[in-house]
Amino acid sequence: MSQHISLKDVERKVFTSAFEDGLWDIFIALVFLAWAFAPVLTPSLGDFWSSAVLFGSWPFVFLALWLVRRYVVTPRVGTVQFGSWRKTRLLRFNVVMLVFLSFSAILGMVLALGTAALPAWMHAAPFSLVVLIAFSVAAYFLDFSRLYVYGVLFALSPLVGRWLYLYREIPHSGYPVTFGISATIAFLVGLAKFISFLRTHPLDAQEPPSQGAYGD
Amino acid sequence: MTERQIEQADIGALADIDQVIHARTRLTVLAHLYVVESADFVFLKNMTGLTWGNLSSHLSKLEDAGYVATDKGFRGKKPHTMIRLTDRGRTAFREYKQKMLQVLDDLPD
Repeated sequence: MSQHISLKDVERKVFTSAFEDGLWDIFIALVFLAWAFAPVLTPSLGDFWSSAVLFGSWPFVFLALWLVRRYVVTPRVGTVQFGSWRKTRLLRFNVVMLVFLSFSAILGMVLALGTAALPAWMHAAPFSLVVLIAFSVAAYFLDFSRLYVYGVLFALSPLVGRWLYLYREIPHSGYPVTFGISATIAFLVGLAKFISFLRTHPLDAQEPPSQGAYGD
Repeated sequence: MTERQIEQADIGALADIDQVIHARTRLTVLAHLYVVESADFVFLKNMTGLTWGNLSSHLSKLEDAGYVATDKGFRGKKPHTMIRLTDRGRTAFREYKQKMLQVLDDLPD
Protein backbone atom coordinates (compact mmCIF):
# COMPACT_ATOMS: atom_id res chain seq x y z
CA MET A 1 0.00 0.00 0.00
CA SER A 2 1.36 3.40 -0.94
CA GLN A 3 2.26 5.83 1.83
CA HIS A 4 1.19 8.72 -0.36
CA ILE A 5 -2.52 9.33 -0.80
CA SER A 6 -3.70 11.80 -3.43
CA LEU A 7 -7.48 12.14 -3.40
CA LYS A 8 -7.49 13.14 -7.08
CA ASP A 9 -5.52 10.02 -7.96
CA VAL A 10 -7.77 7.86 -5.79
CA GLU A 11 -10.87 9.28 -7.49
CA ARG A 12 -9.36 8.77 -10.95
CA LYS A 13 -8.29 5.22 -10.05
CA VAL A 14 -11.81 4.44 -8.82
CA PHE A 15 -13.42 5.80 -12.00
CA THR A 16 -10.96 4.38 -14.54
CA SER A 17 -11.23 0.94 -12.95
CA ALA A 18 -14.44 0.72 -14.99
CA PHE A 19 -12.33 0.57 -18.19
CA GLU A 20 -9.88 -2.07 -17.01
CA ASP A 21 -12.01 -5.07 -17.90
CA GLY A 22 -11.51 -4.53 -21.67
CA LEU A 23 -15.24 -4.59 -22.49
CA TRP A 24 -15.22 -1.04 -23.87
CA ASP A 25 -12.30 -1.95 -26.15
CA ILE A 26 -14.20 -4.99 -27.42
CA PHE A 27 -17.30 -2.84 -27.96
CA ILE A 28 -15.26 -0.33 -30.01
CA ALA A 29 -13.75 -3.25 -31.97
CA LEU A 30 -17.28 -4.34 -32.87
CA VAL A 31 -18.11 -0.82 -34.04
CA PHE A 32 -15.03 -0.91 -36.29
CA LEU A 33 -16.09 -4.35 -37.51
CA ALA A 34 -19.52 -3.03 -38.48
CA TRP A 35 -17.81 -0.33 -40.55
CA ALA A 36 -15.59 -2.99 -42.14
CA PHE A 37 -18.56 -5.18 -43.12
CA ALA A 38 -21.04 -2.48 -44.15
CA PRO A 39 -19.64 -1.92 -47.68
CA VAL A 40 -19.33 -5.69 -48.21
CA LEU A 41 -22.94 -6.38 -47.24
CA THR A 42 -24.56 -3.48 -49.08
CA PRO A 43 -23.94 -4.68 -52.69
CA SER A 44 -25.21 -8.20 -51.94
CA LEU A 45 -28.09 -7.41 -49.55
CA GLY A 46 -29.06 -3.93 -50.63
CA ASP A 47 -29.25 -0.81 -48.47
CA PHE A 48 -32.28 -1.86 -46.44
CA TRP A 49 -31.24 -5.40 -45.49
CA SER A 50 -27.59 -4.56 -44.89
CA SER A 51 -28.68 -1.79 -42.51
CA ALA A 52 -31.18 -4.17 -40.92
CA VAL A 53 -28.49 -6.79 -40.33
CA LEU A 54 -25.97 -4.29 -38.95
CA PHE A 55 -28.36 -2.33 -36.73
CA GLY A 56 -30.36 -5.43 -35.82
CA SER A 57 -27.28 -7.11 -34.42
CA TRP A 58 -26.58 -4.31 -31.92
CA PRO A 59 -29.24 -5.32 -29.36
CA PHE A 60 -27.53 -8.74 -29.19
CA VAL A 61 -24.11 -7.10 -28.79
CA PHE A 62 -25.42 -4.90 -25.97
CA LEU A 63 -27.14 -7.88 -24.34
CA ALA A 64 -23.97 -9.99 -24.52
CA LEU A 65 -21.81 -7.22 -23.04
CA TRP A 66 -24.40 -6.53 -20.33
CA LEU A 67 -24.49 -10.21 -19.38
CA VAL A 68 -20.69 -10.39 -19.19
CA ARG A 69 -20.61 -7.24 -17.05
CA ARG A 70 -23.44 -8.47 -14.81
CA TYR A 71 -22.25 -12.04 -14.25
CA VAL A 72 -18.48 -11.90 -14.79
CA VAL A 73 -17.22 -8.38 -14.09
CA THR A 74 -19.43 -7.03 -11.29
CA PRO A 75 -19.00 -10.02 -8.93
CA ARG A 76 -15.24 -9.50 -9.25
CA VAL A 77 -14.98 -5.70 -8.95
CA GLY A 78 -18.00 -4.89 -6.84
CA THR A 79 -20.30 -1.91 -7.13
CA VAL A 80 -19.64 1.80 -6.74
CA GLN A 81 -21.71 4.95 -7.04
CA PHE A 82 -19.53 7.82 -8.11
CA GLY A 83 -19.29 11.07 -6.22
CA SER A 84 -20.86 14.39 -7.16
CA TRP A 85 -17.64 15.71 -8.78
CA ARG A 86 -17.57 12.81 -11.24
CA LYS A 87 -21.32 13.00 -11.88
CA THR A 88 -21.00 16.69 -12.73
CA ARG A 89 -18.06 15.92 -15.03
CA LEU A 90 -20.07 13.21 -16.81
CA LEU A 91 -23.02 15.57 -17.20
CA ARG A 92 -20.69 18.22 -18.63
CA PHE A 93 -19.28 15.57 -21.01
CA ASN A 94 -22.78 14.66 -22.24
CA VAL A 95 -23.66 18.31 -22.84
CA VAL A 96 -20.38 19.01 -24.66
CA MET A 97 -20.82 15.92 -26.87
CA LEU A 98 -24.44 16.75 -27.65
CA VAL A 99 -23.57 20.31 -28.65
CA PHE A 100 -20.48 19.22 -30.60
CA LEU A 101 -22.21 16.43 -32.52
CA SER A 102 -25.23 18.62 -33.34
CA PHE A 103 -22.90 21.35 -34.55
CA SER A 104 -20.83 18.80 -36.50
CA ALA A 105 -23.89 17.36 -38.21
CA ILE A 106 -24.79 20.80 -39.54
CA LEU A 107 -21.18 21.75 -40.34
CA GLY A 108 -20.61 18.32 -41.92
CA MET A 109 -23.34 18.96 -44.47
CA VAL A 110 -21.82 22.33 -45.36
CA LEU A 111 -18.27 20.94 -45.51
CA ALA A 112 -19.37 17.97 -47.59
CA LEU A 113 -20.30 20.39 -50.31
CA GLY A 114 -16.79 21.82 -50.21
CA THR A 115 -14.94 18.52 -50.30
CA ALA A 116 -15.18 18.42 -54.08
CA ALA A 117 -12.17 20.73 -54.09
CA LEU A 118 -10.14 18.22 -52.07
CA PRO A 119 -8.27 15.23 -53.54
CA ALA A 120 -10.64 12.26 -53.88
CA TRP A 121 -9.03 10.26 -51.08
CA MET A 122 -9.61 13.16 -48.66
CA HIS A 123 -13.38 13.34 -49.14
CA ALA A 124 -13.86 11.68 -45.78
CA ALA A 125 -11.68 14.33 -44.06
CA PRO A 126 -14.57 16.25 -42.39
CA PHE A 127 -15.96 12.99 -41.00
CA SER A 128 -12.50 11.96 -39.76
CA LEU A 129 -12.03 15.32 -38.07
CA VAL A 130 -15.37 15.05 -36.26
CA VAL A 131 -14.56 11.50 -35.13
CA LEU A 132 -11.11 12.51 -33.94
CA ILE A 133 -12.45 15.44 -31.91
CA ALA A 134 -15.34 13.37 -30.48
CA PHE A 135 -13.03 10.57 -29.33
CA SER A 136 -10.52 13.06 -27.91
CA VAL A 137 -13.24 14.86 -25.95
CA ALA A 138 -14.47 11.51 -24.62
CA ALA A 139 -10.92 10.44 -23.70
CA TYR A 140 -10.37 13.70 -21.82
CA PHE A 141 -13.63 13.73 -19.86
CA LEU A 142 -13.60 10.01 -19.12
CA ASP A 143 -9.87 9.81 -18.27
CA PHE A 144 -9.78 6.93 -20.76
CA SER A 145 -6.53 7.50 -22.65
CA ARG A 146 -6.90 4.55 -25.06
CA LEU A 147 -9.78 6.45 -26.70
CA TYR A 148 -7.22 8.87 -28.18
CA VAL A 149 -5.67 5.92 -30.06
CA TYR A 150 -9.06 4.57 -31.14
CA GLY A 151 -9.99 8.07 -32.31
CA VAL A 152 -6.88 8.19 -34.51
CA LEU A 153 -7.63 4.69 -35.88
CA PHE A 154 -11.27 5.62 -36.57
CA ALA A 155 -10.24 8.89 -38.23
CA LEU A 156 -7.54 7.32 -40.40
CA SER A 157 -9.53 4.26 -41.51
CA PRO A 158 -11.81 5.97 -44.06
CA LEU A 159 -8.98 8.20 -45.38
CA VAL A 160 -6.51 5.35 -45.84
CA GLY A 161 -9.29 3.09 -47.10
CA ARG A 162 -10.25 5.57 -49.75
CA TRP A 163 -6.61 5.99 -50.75
CA LEU A 164 -6.22 2.19 -51.03
CA TYR A 165 -9.36 2.04 -53.18
CA LEU A 166 -8.20 4.80 -55.53
CA TYR A 167 -4.53 3.94 -55.84
CA ARG A 168 -4.29 0.22 -54.99
CA GLU A 169 -7.71 -0.88 -56.25
CA ILE A 170 -8.73 -2.45 -52.96
CA PRO A 171 -12.51 -3.06 -53.22
CA HIS A 172 -15.27 -1.67 -50.98
CA SER A 173 -13.44 1.65 -50.44
CA GLY A 174 -10.72 -0.27 -48.65
CA TYR A 175 -12.92 -0.32 -45.52
CA PRO A 176 -12.67 -4.09 -44.88
CA VAL A 177 -8.87 -3.67 -44.72
CA THR A 178 -8.53 -0.45 -42.73
CA PHE A 179 -11.47 -0.91 -40.36
CA GLY A 180 -10.62 -4.60 -40.14
CA ILE A 181 -7.12 -3.75 -38.92
CA SER A 182 -8.53 -1.18 -36.46
CA ALA A 183 -11.06 -3.74 -35.21
CA THR A 184 -8.32 -6.34 -34.74
CA ILE A 185 -6.15 -3.92 -32.74
CA ALA A 186 -9.02 -2.84 -30.49
CA PHE A 187 -10.21 -6.43 -30.05
CA LEU A 188 -6.74 -7.72 -29.13
CA VAL A 189 -6.28 -4.90 -26.60
CA GLY A 190 -9.73 -5.64 -25.16
CA LEU A 191 -9.09 -9.37 -25.03
CA ALA A 192 -5.70 -8.88 -23.34
CA LYS A 193 -7.29 -6.51 -20.82
CA PHE A 194 -10.14 -8.95 -20.17
CA ILE A 195 -7.80 -11.90 -19.61
CA SER A 196 -5.58 -9.78 -17.36
CA PHE A 197 -8.69 -8.63 -15.48
CA LEU A 198 -9.84 -12.23 -14.91
CA ARG A 199 -6.39 -13.15 -13.63
CA THR A 200 -6.09 -10.21 -11.25
CA HIS A 201 -9.67 -10.48 -10.00
CA PRO A 202 -10.27 -14.17 -9.32
CA LEU A 203 -13.77 -15.02 -8.19
CA ASP A 204 -12.65 -17.67 -5.71
CA ALA A 205 -10.77 -15.00 -3.74
CA GLN A 206 -14.10 -13.59 -2.70
CA GLU A 207 -14.89 -15.08 0.65
CA PRO A 208 -16.90 -12.56 2.57
CA PRO A 209 -16.08 -12.36 6.27
CA SER A 210 -17.85 -15.08 8.19
CA GLN A 211 -18.77 -12.61 10.87
CA GLY A 212 -19.38 -8.90 11.00
CA ALA A 213 -21.85 -6.60 9.38
CA TYR A 214 -20.20 -6.24 6.00
CA GLY A 215 -20.42 -9.66 4.43
CA ASP A 216 -22.67 -9.93 1.44
CA MET B 1 11.98 28.76 18.59
CA THR B 2 14.03 26.31 20.63
CA GLU B 3 14.11 22.63 19.83
CA ARG B 4 12.02 21.86 22.92
CA GLN B 5 9.40 24.47 21.96
CA ILE B 6 9.17 22.97 18.48
CA GLU B 7 8.77 19.51 19.97
CA GLN B 8 6.01 20.68 22.33
CA ALA B 9 4.24 22.53 19.53
CA ASP B 10 4.34 19.40 17.35
CA ILE B 11 3.05 17.16 20.11
CA GLY B 12 0.23 19.62 20.85
CA ALA B 13 -0.81 19.80 17.21
CA LEU B 14 -0.54 16.05 16.73
CA ALA B 15 -2.65 15.39 19.80
CA ASP B 16 -5.52 17.10 17.98
CA ILE B 17 -5.29 14.68 15.08
CA ASP B 18 -8.21 12.25 14.90
CA GLN B 19 -6.62 8.90 15.74
CA VAL B 20 -9.52 6.92 14.27
CA ILE B 21 -8.68 8.38 10.86
CA HIS B 22 -4.93 8.64 11.32
CA ALA B 23 -4.29 4.87 11.13
CA ARG B 24 -2.92 4.27 7.63
CA THR B 25 -5.36 1.50 6.70
CA ARG B 26 -8.43 3.42 7.85
CA LEU B 27 -7.12 6.51 6.11
CA THR B 28 -6.95 4.53 2.85
CA VAL B 29 -10.48 3.21 3.31
CA LEU B 30 -11.81 6.67 4.14
CA ALA B 31 -9.99 8.26 1.19
CA HIS B 32 -11.73 5.82 -1.15
CA LEU B 33 -15.13 6.42 0.45
CA TYR B 34 -14.56 10.19 0.45
CA VAL B 35 -14.32 10.36 -3.36
CA VAL B 36 -17.42 8.26 -4.06
CA GLU B 37 -21.04 8.32 -2.97
CA SER B 38 -21.03 4.70 -1.84
CA ALA B 39 -19.31 1.41 -2.61
CA ASP B 40 -19.79 -2.21 -1.69
CA PHE B 41 -17.40 -4.41 0.25
CA VAL B 42 -15.96 -6.14 -2.85
CA PHE B 43 -15.14 -2.81 -4.48
CA LEU B 44 -13.44 -1.45 -1.36
CA LYS B 45 -11.47 -4.66 -0.95
CA ASN B 46 -10.20 -4.45 -4.55
CA MET B 47 -9.34 -0.77 -4.34
CA THR B 48 -7.56 -0.87 -0.99
CA GLY B 49 -5.89 -4.26 -1.39
CA LEU B 50 -6.93 -5.28 2.13
CA THR B 51 -8.05 -8.72 3.21
CA TRP B 52 -11.68 -9.42 4.07
CA GLY B 53 -10.96 -9.63 7.78
CA ASN B 54 -8.81 -6.53 7.88
CA LEU B 55 -11.29 -4.43 5.93
CA SER B 56 -14.21 -5.69 7.98
CA SER B 57 -12.49 -4.88 11.27
CA HIS B 58 -11.52 -1.36 10.19
CA LEU B 59 -15.01 -0.67 8.83
CA SER B 60 -16.44 -1.76 12.18
CA LYS B 61 -14.21 0.77 13.94
CA LEU B 62 -15.22 3.49 11.51
CA GLU B 63 -18.88 2.60 11.98
CA ASP B 64 -18.49 2.71 15.76
CA ALA B 65 -17.05 6.21 15.40
CA GLY B 66 -20.07 7.17 13.29
CA TYR B 67 -17.95 7.84 10.22
CA VAL B 68 -19.44 5.21 7.91
CA ALA B 69 -22.92 3.81 7.48
CA THR B 70 -24.28 0.80 5.64
CA ASP B 71 -27.29 0.56 3.36
CA LYS B 72 -28.50 -2.99 3.28
CA GLY B 73 -30.50 -4.29 0.36
CA PHE B 74 -30.80 -7.22 -1.99
CA ARG B 75 -29.34 -7.96 -5.39
CA GLY B 76 -31.55 -10.66 -6.77
CA LYS B 77 -31.94 -13.03 -3.84
CA LYS B 78 -28.57 -12.22 -2.29
CA PRO B 79 -28.14 -9.60 0.42
CA HIS B 80 -26.00 -6.69 -0.72
CA THR B 81 -24.48 -3.97 1.44
CA MET B 82 -23.39 -0.54 0.24
CA ILE B 83 -21.05 1.43 2.48
CA ARG B 84 -20.92 5.21 2.54
CA LEU B 85 -19.32 8.01 4.48
CA THR B 86 -21.74 9.73 6.87
CA ASP B 87 -21.91 13.55 7.02
CA ARG B 88 -19.98 13.30 10.27
CA GLY B 89 -17.34 11.12 8.63
CA ARG B 90 -17.03 13.48 5.67
CA THR B 91 -16.60 16.47 7.99
CA ALA B 92 -14.10 14.58 10.17
CA PHE B 93 -12.06 13.58 7.12
CA ARG B 94 -12.05 17.17 5.83
CA GLU B 95 -10.96 18.46 9.25
CA TYR B 96 -8.26 15.78 9.45
CA LYS B 97 -6.93 16.86 6.06
CA GLN B 98 -6.81 20.52 7.14
CA LYS B 99 -5.16 19.70 10.47
CA MET B 100 -2.51 17.55 8.85
CA LEU B 101 -1.71 20.31 6.40
CA GLN B 102 -1.51 22.75 9.29
CA VAL B 103 0.75 20.48 11.36
CA LEU B 104 3.10 19.96 8.45
CA ASP B 105 2.98 23.65 7.57
CA ASP B 106 3.94 24.63 11.13
CA LEU B 107 7.05 22.45 11.09
CA PRO B 108 10.28 24.37 10.61
CA ASP B 109 12.27 23.71 7.39
